[in-house]
Parts: sequence; structure tokens; C-alpha cells
Amino acid sequence: MKTKLLIFLFALPLFVFSQNKVEKLHQTQALNCKTCHSCDIPTKENPCIKPCPRERLITIEQTPSDAPSILTIDKMKKTSDIYAPVVFSHRLHAEMADMGGGCRMCHHYNPPGEVVGCADCHELTRKRTDLSKPDLKGAYHQQCMNCHRQWSGKVECESCHAQNGSAKKTESKPKTDLAAKQVHQKVNPPELVKYDTPKANGKIVSFNHTDHVSTFSIDCEKCHSNESCNKCHAKYKPASLANRSVADKHVICANCHNTKANCSDCHKNSVVGSFNHKTRTGFDIAKNHAKLTCNRCHVEKGKFAGLKADCSICHGTWTKENFKHLITGLQLDETHADFECTDCHQDKNYANPTCKNCHEDKTYPKDKPGKLVKKSK
Amino acid sequence: MAKQSRRDFLKTSAIIGSAAAGLSSSTKAAPKNVLSEDRMGVLVDTTVCIGCRKCEWACKTAHNLATDPIETYEDRTVFKEQRRPNDKALTVVNEYPNTTSDKFPINVKVQCMHCDKPACVSACIVGAFSKNENGSVIWDGDKCIGCRYCMVACPFQIPAFEFEEALKPDIKKCDFCIERTSKDKLPACVEMCPVEAITYGRREDLLKVAKDRIKNYPHRYVNRIFGEHEVGGTSWLYLSSRQFEEIAFPKLGNDPAPGVSEAIQHGIFAYFVPPVALYALLGGVMWLNKNKKNHETDTEN
Ligand code: SF4
Ligand code: SF4
Repeated sequence: MKTKLLIFLFALPLFVFSQNKVEKLHQTQALNCKTCHSCDIPTKENPCIKPCPRERLITIEQTPSDAPSILTIDKMKKTSDIYAPVVFSHRLHAEMADMGGGCRMCHHYNPPGEVVGCADCHELTRKRTDLSKPDLKGAYHQQCMNCHRQWSGKVECESCHAQNGSAKKTESKPKTDLAAKQVHQKVNPPELVKYDTPKANGKIVSFNHTDHVSTFSIDCEKCHSNESCNKCHAKYKPASLANRSVADKHVICANCHNTKANCSDCHKNSVVGSFNHKTRTGFDIAKNHAKLTCNRCHVEKGKFAGLKADCSICHGTWTKENFKHLITGLQLDETHADFECTDCHQDKNYANPTCKNCHEDKTYPKDKPGKLVKKSK
Repeated sequence: MAKQSRRDFLKTSAIIGSAAAGLSSSTKAAPKNVLSEDRMGVLVDTTVCIGCRKCEWACKTAHNLATDPIETYEDRTVFKEQRRPNDKALTVVNEYPNTTSDKFPINVKVQCMHCDKPACVSACIVGAFSKNENGSVIWDGDKCIGCRYCMVACPFQIPAFEFEEALKPDIKKCDFCIERTSKDKLPACVEMCPVEAITYGRREDLLKVAKDRIKNYPHRYVNRIFGEHEVGGTSWLYLSSRQFEEIAFPKLGNDPAPGVSEAIQHGIFAYFVPPVALYALLGGVMWLNKNKKNHETDTEN
């Protein structure tokens, strides 16, 4: 017991001390210590940092414009080197990464604060005692080759390095200028993508990108995450889609659509224009609901059916007391203002009023139960 | 010429196996065979290797073997056929298709595994092979009598014979860069590898690293470290995304592979002849033969 107390007393100042030191960086982040540290009380002397299991670590996002534009990777430079240091177009690569998983595609350990550079964790020397992570040269190459192998399928040293002392040796100055200027050209999102599918009935799927982005306000990352450059740059793109399994082809759409049933929702025999609530569901939202986002009415995530153009689902039951008819642009005359809504509006969507309850010879909109005014809100 | 006479020699020595002969204590196999706890090893992660073949170049350069310039190693057409290490290339890299992603073929570097219980050591009747404290299995040209039992015994078919070298053919195989490591340098291939697909370190530590990788990335690796137990354990250890048999690793048990001399030894026991006598006989005859050969060489020169 006594020893335990002693240990506690001894450990307490350490604990408090370490807490104070880390306050600025750690306290605002609401982190679980065990995410990064393996022991109960990490100290400066023994921080017991876990080797980075990349997926499980916290990460923050930077933007490519915060990043340095070019870096010469010469930390490992030795006079005996066969190959010269790489002039690395960092900004260009950051922009490319931004279309996929962001900075963490390379900076896999990316906690809040200053960006952790490769050399901050990966040792310069290959002959070392901590073998849990590759040395700096290995780390760089592993990271680069992961994409470059997909990209070109080649592993040639000279696609990135100049060879020292050879005729091919290129001056690093022009290369530096070139690298500084390189940016990935702006990607123009498509409006409509037409897919020709092998489906016998319903060959054509019209994917309206603009609808998904603007009308349905779907975040880019929902569909575009961890993409490789090949997505756009592959030589044999159509073939690559054709080779994929049915489930694989639908994987992104299946995020929101039930692709196992309802094939004909998307698979049509002709190209379909952009989404129109009226033609698609019979309920015209252009007049009164145009400014609303989908989820104002379709509150249940991913579920759109079931509202059946029934105003009462969102608005509750309207009565002559609680509904100001003026809002519709038609001011009821005194007689009609006394009626119950249902006397004229027999549809749940209040769209086509009928006069037949009282007037045999009158029809709306030819005849009006009041006068038209400017719409008010 | 030399080839022929050696083969004849092998035949005769096997036939006259039970005859008595004078002892020569210096020829008795005396392997150093210490299995140090700190013995070194190399972990080859075939999921990291990109098949750049720079290790082949580094190996040849470090061992003064003839090599084409480094750029020529970019040529991937060599992968069309499977290659084996030989007397001109102590390590080679092979390629196998990756069924899940054709952009990432599987490359496997092949060389001597530096077994913990090396069959070559137990096969060699004059003790020309030895397992050293740092884990390396080394061939000693001064002792070798050219019987090539090591080539037959090795479960990985590693030791190569310089058939084209008529005068003083050597057994050639990866020597774990013993010269470099004794000067505190890394093996040449390990130093060269751009992606550090090959990691040099204490075998014990490497096993831990390998196990951690399997634990952290269970989808990346099959749950097996080739060389942890195979033929009694090897200094070179391999990680893979495929079953090892699919990428041309031999199917081996966990017992050490028997050396050829042991097999002969057992045969001799059946005839109640003590094995020492056999060693002595085989060793003695070969020793004489080698001296004679050297003598011939001398006179030819
Ligand atoms: S792989 Fe063959 S040559 Fe190398 S140590 Fe093992 S038995 Fe000997
Ligand atoms: S140098 Fe490394 S990456 Fe290249 S082939 Fe050899 S082991 Fe593989």
C-alpha cells in the first residue's frame, strides 16, 4: 500500500507536468490518449508513442495552397550516390492528392498542428535499431511508387532522378523552375454523363452530375474519395468499367440508391434530362418549394418516397382559421373565406380545387373565388 | 575435362564407400554451427518490392561479378521466365502475376536463405560450409574439394558451381555480404533497395516486425512468415500477400533438411561401419584428388 502511495506521489508531479506541457496542443482536441500512446502516463522521456497505424490516427486537413510548391529531396544525399536528388513538385502532388484522400495520402500521420514531414519520423540511416518503420529513403520510395506504379506501370529511376555524372545529367535549376510552374489543370465537372450499359432493357443510364452536386447538394467526398489519378487518366477506361462486377459498378450509386431493386429508376432506353420534381413525382415544387433543400421535407436520410404529395405531412392540418389564403396570390371573397378548405380542395396536395360542390357550371381556374393579388410571404 | 573427371570421381567414391582408408583429422567436418541469439537476418516484404532489380546490380557490383550498366536493369522482359541464382548472379528477382491488381505484380527476390540448420553445412564432408555467429552461411574455398554435395542437399537449390571455370571452379552463392558486414556495412542489396523491401536486422527483431505488419495489415499479408520455421528456420524471412507455394516457394517441412552425407552415414550404419571411417574415406580420397588437381594446375601453368 505504502509503495503504491509512494509511486503515486512520485508520478503525480510527472503527470501534472506532462499535462501542462501538452495542454496547448492536446487539450483542445478532445483526444483519447490511447489513440497515440501505449502507456497510461506518457512523459517527455518516455512518450510511448505507438507506431503509426495509419487508418486509426486522427488527422486534419490542409489545403494544397498552404503547401510548399517545390521541395528538393536531398536530406539523404551522399557523394557516392548514383542518382541525384529529386526536385519534387509538391504543390502539384498536393493538388492531385486533394482530389483523392487529401494530404494524408502521403502524410499518413497528420495530427493537428504543423504538418509532420517524412523526415520527422523516418530515420536517415538504414542501419538502425528501430525497424518498425522504413528508413527515409524507403519511406519516400514506397509512397511515390504506390501511385507511380499505377500511373505508368513503370519503376524507372530516371523518371524522377537524374543520374549523377552521366551525360543525361540535367541541371536542377531549369527543372526547379518547371516544377514550380506545374499545377494540375482545373477539373471541370461534367454536367451529364451517359453510360451505355449491357442491360437489355434500359441500356442507358443518364447520370446528371450537376443535379447531384447542386440540386441534391451531395458533398464531393461522398462519391470521390481515395481516388487514383487513373480514374481520369487510365488508357483503357471503358474497358476497366466493363471488367468490373455488377456490385462493383454500382458501389457508389448504392450509397443512396437501392441498386438491387428499382433498376428502371436509372436504366432507361433514352437519355433523361435533369431532375424535375413534377415529372418525376407529380408534385410540382417549382412554385412554392423551389428554394428548399431536399431534406426539409424528406427528413429521413436517404428515403424519398412516402410523402405522396400530402401537404399535411409537413404543414399539419390546415383550417380556415390557420391558413391565410392570401399567401397563394388569391384573396378569397367573403363568401368563400367562410368555407372549410376541403369544400373546394379535395386532393391532399390542394392543387386542383373543385367548384362542383356548389356550382355546376363553374370551373377553376376559369372562374375564381376571389381576386388575384401579388403573392405575399 | 574437369567436369568429367569430377563426376567420375563422385561415382567411384560412392562405390568404394565402405573400404577402409587412412584418417586425416584435418578433413573431418567441423562446422562452427553456433546459433547466436543475436544472429542477423533479412526480412523480405514481397508486398513492398517493386521488382526494380537494383539489388541484383548491387550484389554483382559488391561481389566483383560482371554486370551491365545499372540502367539496363530497368528491362522487365527478363521476368518472362523464372530465373535461379547462379554463379554469375547470386541473387535474382522473379515476377508473378497479381490476380487482384495487374498494376502490382508480385516480385520475389531469391538468394541463399542462410538456414539456421543448413543442409549444405551438414552435407559438406570437409566442413567447407559453416554457419557463423552473425547468421551467415559461408563457403570456404580452401577447404572445398568440389564434391558438390551441397548443391544436392540444399532445399532451395542455391549453391552454384562455376561450370565454365575449368581451372579452379568455385561454389558460388550469396555470402550475406560477409566482407561488408564485418566492416559494419549493410549487405549491398539491403543498402541499395529504394523501397526498403528488404530489412536487415537481428532475426528476432525482424520476426517481431513481420508479426506486427501481419497484425496491423491483416488484409495485406497471409498469416505466415516464410523462414520462421521452414527447414528449422532461416535467416532470410519472407512476407507475402499470397500463399508462398503460389509464388514458387518450395513446399518444405519444419524439420531441417538432411545433408547428403548424413544420408550416406545412415546407409553406412546399416553395414556396421562407423561413420567416421566413411568421412575419412570420402574426405581422404577427395583431398588427394584435390591436391592432384592443384598439382596438375600448377604444372599446366
Ligand atoms: S539455402 Fe541452401 S545454401 Fe543457403 S544455407 Fe540453406 S542449405 Fe545452405
Ligand atoms: S532492390 Fe528492393 S525493390 Fe528492387 S527488386 Fe530488389 S528487393 Fe525489390
